[in-house]
Amino acid sequence: MNKKEKVSVGLPDNLREIIIEIPEDEPKPWDGKSELNYIGKRVKRIDGIDKTTGKAKYTFDVKIPGMLYAKFLRSDFPAGTISEIDLSKAQKLKGVYSVLPAQDDLPLIIRYAGQEIAAVAAETAEIAETALQQITFKHTTSDFVLSVEDAIRENAPLVYQTTVKEKTTEGDLDSSESSVVQEGNIRGPKIFPEDENAEKFDDYLRNCEVIHTAEYRTQVQTHSAMETHGVVVEWGSDDKVKVWASTQGTFSVRNDIADYFKLKYNDVRVITEFMGGGFGAKFGAGLYGIMAAKLSRATGKPVRLMLDRKGEHLSVGNRPDSLQKLSIGTTKEGKIKALKLISLGTGGVGTGAGTSGPIKNIYDYEKIYVEESDVFINAGPAAAFRAPGHPQGAFALEQAIDEMAHKLGIDPLEFRRINTTGNYIRQTQYVLGAEKFGWDKRNQVPGSIKGPIKRGFGVANSVWYYIYNKGFVATVTINRRGEVQVINGVQDIGGGIGTVLAMIVAEELGLEPDQITVKIGDTDNGFGPASGGSQTTAGITPAVRNAAYKAKIRMIELAASILGKTTDKVTMEGSRFSDGDDISKSLSFQQVAAKIPGDEIRVTAERRSDNLGREEIKTTIDGVQFADVTVDTGTGVVKVNRIVAVHDCGRPMDRLTLESQINGGIIQGISYALYENRILDRNTGIMVNPNLEMYKIAGARDVPQIETIIMDFNQAMNSTGAMGIGEPATIPTSAAIANAVFNAIGVRLRSLPITPDKILAALEEQSK
Amino acid sequence: MTENINFILNSALISTLIDPTITLLDFIREDRKLTGTKTGCREGDCGACTVLAGIYSGGTLTYKTVNSCLLPLGNIKGQHIVTIEGLSTEEISPVQKAFIEEGASQCGFCTPGFIVSLTGYLLSGGSSDRDKALDSIGGNICRCTGYSSIKRAADKVVKIFNSESYSGKTDIESLINTGLLPGYFKDIPARLAELQEKPQRVRAETDKFIGGGTDLYVQQPGKLREIRTEFLKGHIPETIDSEGGICRIGGGTTFEAMNSSPLLHSLFPEIEKYFRLIASLPIRNSATIGGNIVNASPIGDTTIIFLALDAWVELNSGTKKRTLPLKELYTGYKTLKIEKGEYLEYIGFYIPTGKYAFNFEKVSKRSHLDIASVNSAAFFEYSEGVITNARISAGGVSPVPLFLSKSSEFLAGKAISYETLSNTLGIMQTEILPISDVRGSGEYKRLLLNQLCKAHFISMFPEIIKEEALL
Repeated sequence: MNKKEKVSVGLPDNLREIIIEIPEDEPKPWDGKSELNYIGKRVKRIDGIDKTTGKAKYTFDVKIPGMLYAKFLRSDFPAGTISEIDLSKAQKLKGVYSVLPAQDDLPLIIRYAGQEIAAVAAETAEIAETALQQITFKHTTSDFVLSVEDAIRENAPLVYQTTVKEKTTEGDLDSSESSVVQEGNIRGPKIFPEDENAEKFDDYLRNCEVIHTAEYRTQVQTHSAMETHGVVVEWGSDDKVKVWASTQGTFSVRNDIADYFKLKYNDVRVITEFMGGGFGAKFGAGLYGIMAAKLSRATGKPVRLMLDRKGEHLSVGNRPDSLQKLSIGTTKEGKIKALKLISLGTGGVGTGAGTSGPIKNIYDYEKIYVEESDVFINAGPAAAFRAPGHPQGAFALEQAIDEMAHKLGIDPLEFRRINTTGNYIRQTQYVLGAEKFGWDKRNQVPGSIKGPIKRGFGVANSVWYYIYNKGFVATVTINRRGEVQVINGVQDIGGGIGTVLAMIVAEELGLEPDQITVKIGDTDNGFGPASGGSQTTAGITPAVRNAAYKAKIRMIELAASILGKTTDKVTMEGSRFSDGDDISKSLSFQQVAAKIPGDEIRVTAERRSDNLGREEIKTTIDGVQFADVTVDTGTGVVKVNRIVAVHDCGRPMDRLTLESQINGGIIQGISYALYENRILDRNTGIMVNPNLEMYKIAGARDVPQIETIIMDFNQAMNSTGAMGIGEPATIPTSAAIANAVFNAIGVRLRSLPITPDKILAALEEQSK
Repeated sequence: MTENINFILNSALISTLIDPTITLLDFIREDRKLTGTKTGCREGDCGACTVLAGIYSGGTLTYKTVNSCLLPLGNIKGQHIVTIEGLSTEEISPVQKAFIEEGASQCGFCTPGFIVSLTGYLLSGGSSDRDKALDSIGGNICRCTGYSSIKRAADKVVKIFNSESYSGKTDIESLINTGLLPGYFKDIPARLAELQEKPQRVRAETDKFIGGGTDLYVQQPGKLREIRTEFLKGHIPETIDSEGGICRIGGGTTFEAMNSSPLLHSLFPEIEKYFRLIASLPIRNSATIGGNIVNASPIGDTTIIFLALDAWVELNSGTKKRTLPLKELYTGYKTLKIEKGEYLEYIGFYIPTGKYAFNFEKVSKRSHLDIASVNSAAFFEYSEGVITNARISAGGVSPVPLFLSKSSEFLAGKAISYETLSNTLGIMQTEILPISDVRGSGEYKRLLLNQLCKAHFISMFPEIIKEEALL
């Protein structure tokens, strides 16, 4: 049975009323006119005390009696074959419990320096380390390739002799790609649109009145979460397995372990009480999880396998690099007619180097042509990384857009405006952002400022998508003492989902967030979303609100029976239940709860599809960022002074944690733009900077003034109306900085990271 | 080794026979199971493992932040080590409160380190400016929040500093009263006084001397357990003295002690700027000048500074003392003329008289705390527009920290002018041989050294050499 509700949708100053149909057991969605106590406000984290006092227990901190410490032996050569491994000496060491090869059968083909060869479990980490040195093996080395350019050369050494299947996690956008071919080290191209003819398209492009073509490059960035990857596995004598995992997808860890060892899902329990960051690299059990489970099974003891910082950089994910040739064709007036992208990128021995999200989804165009390929090299595998492909794509596209605007003599913001006319969210964002930023004060002629210190402004767009999965099950309980809890398996990657769940239940029941007990991060708590694709909040919050609503209905029914009234006569003010005919007769939440039959009310609700049968729901999440930089033309050092970020993310839940996510995305973008770079030694294939000393991440002093404008965009497509923000905020930052650098010095830096030496070289090139 | 290591960890007295080369971090987390202190990088670059070290000396107790991942137990004898657990009582502290209110934690893994660092800033009592508060967290990395909320929390902490109830009082009782420290701190000075040991003679029969540990524990943490080691801390001078026109700095003096030395401040008024570029506060609190010189990095920041001061090192082997000019100490990449059993007891230099100028410049990718691509120091004596004596040094442009002797010789007797600057650059380029590496190409480093030399002139003689010269 469905019911009809009238809701107000759109931006706050431009709301429209529409009629929607929703299931009988769901509350009217929060909309543009809802006045709420907590949702949309700045609410402190419920785990603030645990985190600031050191009480919060991460997987890294789990200590169980008898627990063994496991470590990996990694290859120090990038390509070759291991034909024999001798583990016996290591096994004989005192304190060593088990030594296992990383792959059951030999030969083991090594495809990158840092690949796992074997794992040791020992009484202490130190003994494990010593044991690793006792492992010997016979191997041959072979030629290797370390860059896209080398890998696509004729007769280049092959990274794989076999066909590679794309491995995707919950962090990757869904890609259907049955027809992708693999030749040499190139896997691809994927062509979009699939039926487009390249030659015909080029004819069309050639006939455009104004054309810009250039090549853009981005580097490899590693996730570098503060807590490294890892697990503690306790394989019980009853073959029930308990896993503590630093993961952003508890259920994907469970599935991987259960699948690999052919166990029942019900016999594997994964716990993630707190986790120290993931950014896309922490889905599934990983080889570390599988090896820890094998070692635990073999020894009958709990095994802890946490990677060290070096292993983290080498083997568990990175953002692929890219080499993008991009063309834009426009009319003289600046209307985009054609967009073309030829993209090559390497995820090392992994896949996922596509960059076409932005070019397909930001601007209006008549025709588009995209070819994108993964290129294999002898380096660690890529993994989904905060908006996979998008910072790379935006870096190229948004600079190309800027270059085109420059060529046409149109203000870069105006150029963007006239080519996104169908998107009213963007049109609003341009106005809000430009005003806050002071875009009109920008240096009109790039590079024209006198003196060695030059300042410039830049702008760039971002795009992400409203993604959610279904079937998550939220449970809300109210017991006879009036205690309320919300239960789900979802892990908190750091975004603060636990706090948001408490806020939602508190809002629905008229309570305060800290009155709600939140139980999350455990696969025994009911199916919850993985934190990938910015879908945690969009995925779980409607189920939680719907469950809280059901619990509220049960409480109202109970109150009605106590008051001797029908439920339609009971009104709820805050957490009090009153007789609608006689307001003086009212019951507190506790008074009603005390009458709960048995022990508790326990209700569940499932994440269903958004309400259907209505006008189309907007499925892109749009954003624009403005950057203000100064470039020291003497030393080449770029300093970011200020970023203004305007983002849409549906209905904001907790504005404090939301803002923090945007800030965090921006600083990762700055770090990507200016500092971070995985460097492989060209002679040995070994990563030169697998640490935080030379792999530099932005620090507190590198942070500019960041101002965020969060648009409250209500679509009332489900009971909460939340969309995601984790990914969008990091997409446009590097492009906005690059555009600002151009505005400052009048020279284009088409390659990331924008380091001082590149600036000086570019300036020198220009002065020639 | 059968010597007990005695110190106080939070409120507990620790007396242990454990191997003194193990790190404080491992001791805290593995032995004591205090897991609030986190492991992020084990190289002193992320600050997740930051703890407070209370040092009792001459009747006063001072707290400093240190990276526990690079601190051997052998270096904390008689100290009060405070972890996040030792700062957390029933009532949360004002620093913790500021963090919670401003949403300054996201995943939270870095949070204890930040809390300890900011608490350290309040305990230091030196200054109420925001910049100092930011300096205190300069060595802490947060990958999630974007730091904005952390800075807001830091601002709140600065406000606490300036509030009436606190007003910069750093005696322990006031700090306990404001809720910054738990009550057990009251007895710490007396308890530490009992733990103080007499300095002993340095044992020369060793494979490796350990100074602050901040380089050694990055380079070879495992190896130190297998060889004979000797801790220099507490056994070699940590003083900065001037006598007879000579300044002598004890080999055990920390970077931060130099940074806050009134004598060095009077000689080099910009010294704080240099040290801020050199290392984060927790590293400065541990790293020693002796260790830095002996580590022989071709790009060692303090080495470059002392080269320009024409400093000498005083070496001691227990039985024999000798003196060597710093510029003759290095023989090749990471090799130097120090014999087995010898340690650096003092570094000395003549205190300049007359008119002089000193400058240190460093360029790296990140604005702070990065290993330099190229660094350089310059010391000029001058009179009436003419340079009478000059010494320039440069790092990152040769296998050893380089004293630029030809350029220095050339400058003597030359007028302070654009022409002199330009000619110096030409000579300088003949003295260096930079290689391409992670920090930049050889060509870039050549270009950079030119820019640094220009920056020396602009900074030392702003009336004569203008910033436009950089172009």
